[in-house]
Parts: sequence; C-alpha cells; structure tokens
Amino acid sequence: MDPRLLQVIVEATAKIALILFVNLTLIAYLTLLERRVSAWIQDRRGPNRVGPFGLLQPLADGIKFIFKEAILPPQSHKVLYVLAPVIIFVPAMVTFSVIPFGPAIDLFGMSIPLHIADVDSGVLVILGLSSLGVYGIALAGWASNNKYSLMGGLRSSAQLISYELAMGFAVVGVLMATGSLRLTDVIEHQMRHGWNILWQLPGFIVFFTAAFAETNRLPFDLPEAESELVAGYHTEYSGMRFSMFYMAEYANMITASALAVTLYFGGYHVPGLSLLGLPVNVAALVQVAAFALKTGAFLFVYVWVRWTLPRFRYDQLMNLGWKVLLPLALAHVLWVALIILLGWA
Amino acid sequence: MQLLTGLVIVVMLVALMRALMPSRVLVPAVAGTVSALVLLVVFRQDLAGTEFWAGAVGFVAILSALLVVLHPSPMVSVLFLILNLLCVSLFYLMLSAHTLGALQVIVYAGAIMVLFVFVIMLLNLKAEEGLQMGRGLQRWGAVVFGSAFAAMLFWVLRHRQGRPFIEPPRFVEGFGTAKDLGTLLFGEYVFATEAASILLIAAMVGAVLLAKKRLD
Repeated sequence: MDPRLLQVIVEATAKIALILFVNLTLIAYLTLLERRVSAWIQDRRGPNRVGPFGLLQPLADGIKFIFKEAILPPQSHKVLYVLAPVIIFVPAMVTFSVIPFGPAIDLFGMSIPLHIADVDSGVLVILGLSSLGVYGIALAGWASNNKYSLMGGLRSSAQLISYELAMGFAVVGVLMATGSLRLTDVIEHQMRHGWNILWQLPGFIVFFTAAFAETNRLPFDLPEAESELVAGYHTEYSGMRFSMFYMAEYANMITASALAVTLYFGGYHVPGLSLLGLPVNVAALVQVAAFALKTGAFLFVYVWVRWTLPRFRYDQLMNLGWKVLLPLALAHVLWVALIILLGWA
Repeated sequence: MQLLTGLVIVVMLVALMRALMPSRVLVPAVAGTVSALVLLVVFRQDLAGTEFWAGAVGFVAILSALLVVLHPSPMVSVLFLILNLLCVSLFYLMLSAHTLGALQVIVYAGAIMVLFVFVIMLLNLKAEEGLQMGRGLQRWGAVVFGSAFAAMLFWVLRHRQGRPFIEPPRFVEGFGTAKDLGTLLFGEYVFATEAASILLIAAMVGAVLLAKKRLD
C-alpha cells in the first residue's frame, strides 16, 4: 500500500479512536456530574457509595443497563423500534468529527492537526447531521405505538424544526464575520481579531438557547415531559436501548458546547500564549486543555440550568422560538452586516 | 474485491427488504431491483474503477426509490425517501460539490422530510390494505407517460456513442466551495434564484391564508 495513504489511515484511525474514547468516557461521567450537581443544588448528597466519591457509579449504571431485560413491545413496529436508538446515537457521535480541538502538534517529525476532518463546509455538516437526530426521536415515538410516545415524537419534530432556524441564523453572523464555513478558519479569525463573543452577544444568546432546545434539555424537554407524557418518546424503552437515548443526549450536549466554544469563544485559543514562547507541543497541550476547560464550563451550565429553571409550556416554547429568537437572530444578522460594512470588524 | 463488496451490499439489502416488507410487495420490489441490477451490468463500462461506488450508491438509490412507491406503510415509505435523498447527497459529494451535498442533507433530509414524518404521525396514517391502484384516467396516464419516459431513457442510452453520462468534474481551484456556489447563485443565476424565492413567498402567504380561519 502507498505509504502516504497508510499514514493518512493510521492518523485518522488514531484520532477517531481517541475522540470516541474521550467522548464516551465523558458521557459516562456527565451522568455522574448531573446527579452530583443536582444533589448539591437540591441540598442532598447524591450517589456517593460506589467507589471513592461515587466515581464508579457510571460503571455500575452501565452494568445494570446491560443486565436489564430489553423489552420489545408486541404491538410496536419491531424494526423501527430497534433502529430508533441507533439513528439518534450515531449522528450525535459523528458530529464531533469536524470540530478542531487543538492546533497542529509535531509528532515523529510530522505536523498532525488535531481534528478528524477539516471540511470546507464544516458548519453545514454539523447542522445537517444534528438535524438527522430528530428522526431517532420521532421514530422512537411512532414505532412504540403508544400515545404518550407519539405525542413526544410529534413535539420533538415540531420543536427541532422551529429552533433549527434560529440557530442557523445565529451562526450566520459568525460565518459573515469569518467569510468562511470552515471551523479552523473561524478559530483563526478569532485569534487575529478577538473572540466573537465580544461583539456578537445577541447571536450567542440565540445560539445557546436554541442549543438547549436542540438537545432536548430542560427548560425545553417537552418531548419527554414526565408530568404530562409519562416519559415521552422513550416510555416503552428499557435497558441498553433506553440508555442510548441518554447517551445521545449527552453526546449532543458535548458537541453543542464544543461548537459554542469554537464559534464564539475562540475555540482552543488562549490569549497571550504565543508571547510565552513555549515549545510547539507544550503550547498545543495547553490549548487542548483550554478547549476542554471551556467546553466543560458550558457542560456545567447545561446541568446548572436543568436543575434551576422550570419547564416551558408548549405554546410558550413555540412563541419563544418563532416570535422572539427568530426575529432576534435576523436582527443580529443585520447588525453584523452593518458592522462589517462600516469596517469595524 | 468489487464483486464481493457488491454481493455483500445486495445480501444486506435483501435482508433489509425481508425485514421491512410484507410478502405481497416483495415480488415487485425484487423484480424492480433485479431489472435495475441488469441495467447496471449492461452499461457497466461506465462503472469501472472509482465509479464502482457511484454504481453502488445508484443501486441503493434506485432500490429505495422503488420501495418509496411500493411499501404499504407510509412511515416506512418516508424513511426510504430519506435514504434516497441521502444517496443524492452522496452523489454530490462524489462530484466534489461538498457544500451542495451538505445543503441537500440539511434542507431535504433535515427539514422537509421531518415535516412529512410530522404529518404522518399527526394523522396517524396506518398501512394501506394492499397496493391501491389508480383507475381510469390515472392508470392510462401513468402507462402513457411511463412508456414515454422509458423510451426516452432507452434512446439516450443508445445514442450517447460512448460519451460519459456526466462530464468528469473540473477540479478547478475552489470548486464546490460555498463561495463558488454563492457566486453562481447570485451572479450567473441570480434571476432564477430570485424567481424561486418569490415563488416560495407566494406559497407561504397562501399557506398562511388557508390556515387562518378568520382574517382580521
């Protein structure tokens, strides 16, 4: 085989394995974080029995999920019922592949960029893949053949369509400033001209709010509102299939947080790091750590908001999406255009 | 190697069909797939080398298109339509039009088809009892236009004289990027773009007018 091709394959495989490992571990420990932080907010103790500080709790949860009976409801559409958790989980994991998590590092005399794929329309790939995740929820709701599940699926498809638009327009502001759809270009532009958050605050607010709706997190978790829909689209699911919905939710949270960091908070950029004159690899590691830290902060905000705010009513959700966020996003596009026209950015 | 891959794909698809299809639509689906396969084999000189993958994706596209029409359950039909649109997106990617491929997924698979799924779930459509054939004018119209289309396709295949179906993509600098696409849409084809946007606005206004019971 051509050595160059071999090198590409080995490099890509190593990075994919690394990202899968980090993401899956992070998902497991986000469940623990969620439970510990919720306990802290509600003045409880939370899970602290399995291992030191409850650190082995995700492992115990996983074993429990595997040994639970995987129920297949007799009145369901069997194939789609089994397929639905896969359809929601795969796009959630794949989306991370275009997000750059660090600058290039020098390894064995080669310069290795720290992202799996640097596609020309990276932002579009993320939006496209994340919009496919809705089929998992809709199909889970439909295939279960249960009226609560169906209502959950219906709500989720309406909600995701509504908030996708606002999210897209919020991102347009960043793309106009950068003049490119490539995520590495977005980061480089922010390195030279300052982080986008400094002058695109309305866009960020719209983006982050819509991201909550896209990941079905409180206050927008209408598809699984337990007070009215039992558990929404995953009422009929059990065991590992049930846990895949949760893993997909956390994977989506990670991607949304990483995307918010990349678009508005300079990605892996650390201001003033180049002044220190560190060796390339050390500087790269510091920047990867900075990226992880920024993403982690957003993940904490997700958990924080979930245990602080109550759930919206359905009409409030639609009003907020169409009558507040979308006009705000459009106005933000005009504002960014004005700034660029006047040559301030 | 290619034969093996093709065989694996065919076996996977047949297994998928067996799982998803009631037995009464299996015969037309298999017949359509086999005829598509025969067509691919007959014109395989276009599918040598890297174009093998174009053939494989095309095969999936044809099969899913057939199943959209043949499957009795509306929900499964819609899912096959989504699969078909994803195949079209793959075609764009193979022609190195990345932006167009991504837009195809966002607009069709991600937005329009979600509305289809939404409507089917809202009306809770169940599988039809057998295939509903149109009658009278509809059936004869289908026969006439279908044969005309088949004749046209056959004529094109006979008279192309060894030319490829599609010109190989020109790998000019920046081909397929968002900038390239935007320059074309708002430069050369600006009139068509604006006309399409006016059409969409008209459709939207019409929909709002129909949906609103009372205008005040």
